[in-house]
Amino acid sequence: MIIPVRCFTCGKLIADKWEEFSRRVKAGEDAGEVLDSLGIKRYCCRRMLLSHVEIIDEVLRFYEEAEKRREARGYY
Amino acid sequence: MEIKVLEKDDSNMRFLVKGVDVQYVNTLRRLMLAEVPCMAIDEVVVIENSSVLQDEFIAHRLGLIPLKTNLDEYNLPEECPCKSEFGCNLCRVTLTLDAEAKEGTRTIYSGELISENPEIVPVKENIPIMKLTKGQKLKLEAYARLGRGKKHAKWQPVSLCAYKYFPKIEILEKNCDNCGKCVEICPRKVLAKTDGKVEVRDLMACTLCQDCVEACPKNPPAIQVKWEKNSFIFNLESTGALPPERIVKEALKILDGQLKEIEKQIR
Ligand code: SF4
Ligand code: SF4
Ligand SMILES: [Zn+2]
Ligand SMILES: [Zn+2]
Repeated sequence: MIIPVRCFTCGKLIADKWEEFSRRVKAGEDAGEVLDSLGIKRYCCRRMLLSHVEIIDEVLRFYEEAEKRREARGYY
Repeated sequence: MEIKVLEKDDSNMRFLVKGVDVQYVNTLRRLMLAEVPCMAIDEVVVIENSSVLQDEFIAHRLGLIPLKTNLDEYNLPEECPCKSEFGCNLCRVTLTLDAEAKEGTRTIYSGELISENPEIVPVKENIPIMKLTKGQKLKLEAYARLGRGKKHAKWQPVSLCAYKYFPKIEILEKNCDNCGKCVEICPRKVLAKTDGKVEVRDLMACTLCQDCVEACPKNPPAIQVKWEKNSFIFNLESTGALPPERIVKEALKILDGQLKEIEKQIR
């Protein structure tokens, strides 16, 4: 749903690195190199970021659309 | 006993221990994992939550956020003189969060948690707690307490805590023909061929996997990987709650206390 705070296996804090990771990978950088530069060494932590899908963004879209409609009704 | 620190920064430490047996280092490892206390959010009172996720989901996320810990100022709840279930200000820290998305979707970060003690705060300010869209609110009060890793992993001050034997690699020069097969197969690049001769380049990196021994075409193999007796490389990575050297010191203190306890009981 939303990036887990810690690695499931070892307990390292990873949530703080997600935004930078996803931004840099989207910008075209190699995911492995981004992970290296963020200091994520073990493969348990690497898979946390590599395999994560931020589904909450999809869920929030419904609320954003509903909000837009509400606003539109208010205007007319 | 001899200790040599190989590498150290504010969250990692690697040191060499010599002259102790495996039971002793393993005890240390287990104490660091399960007994050294640190702070974590333990109870959450949700006042308002109109986000898309449930209260318990948010409470769980809050619990896992590592908090900077001051072990000298706070007591474990079970050892605190207040003896109260709710706790006093010697065994509990209150953190509050009052967040609302006023202009469109935004992420709520751990930096927005306001602690009553400015020393007990999340180790990082940019840990996403929740995402809210316009009009959604999240208001809560969280109580952090000291605890031990054996009760819940959120109270573990370490995310990596392991030791390995100190490797000992012997290349029998009269049998070795420097074919380089062992150099090729080594996953950690421990061996290197310099001037046509196979040599150990980075001994500490060896994981004792024995791949090089198996790859050697000679019979018996011209390379032997063994380990030193009573010599260990200890690797420690703190979650940020406590500095690594403090974790080691606390573990030793706890071991001392436990041994004294045994002494008292068998007398
Ligand atoms: S594989 Fe055996 S024979 Fe070949 S270089 Fe290594 S130790 Fe020597
Ligand atoms: S035991 Fe494994 S890690 Fe060590 S030198 Fe041989 S192949 Fe490399
Ligand atoms: Zn991990
Ligand atoms: Zn108390």
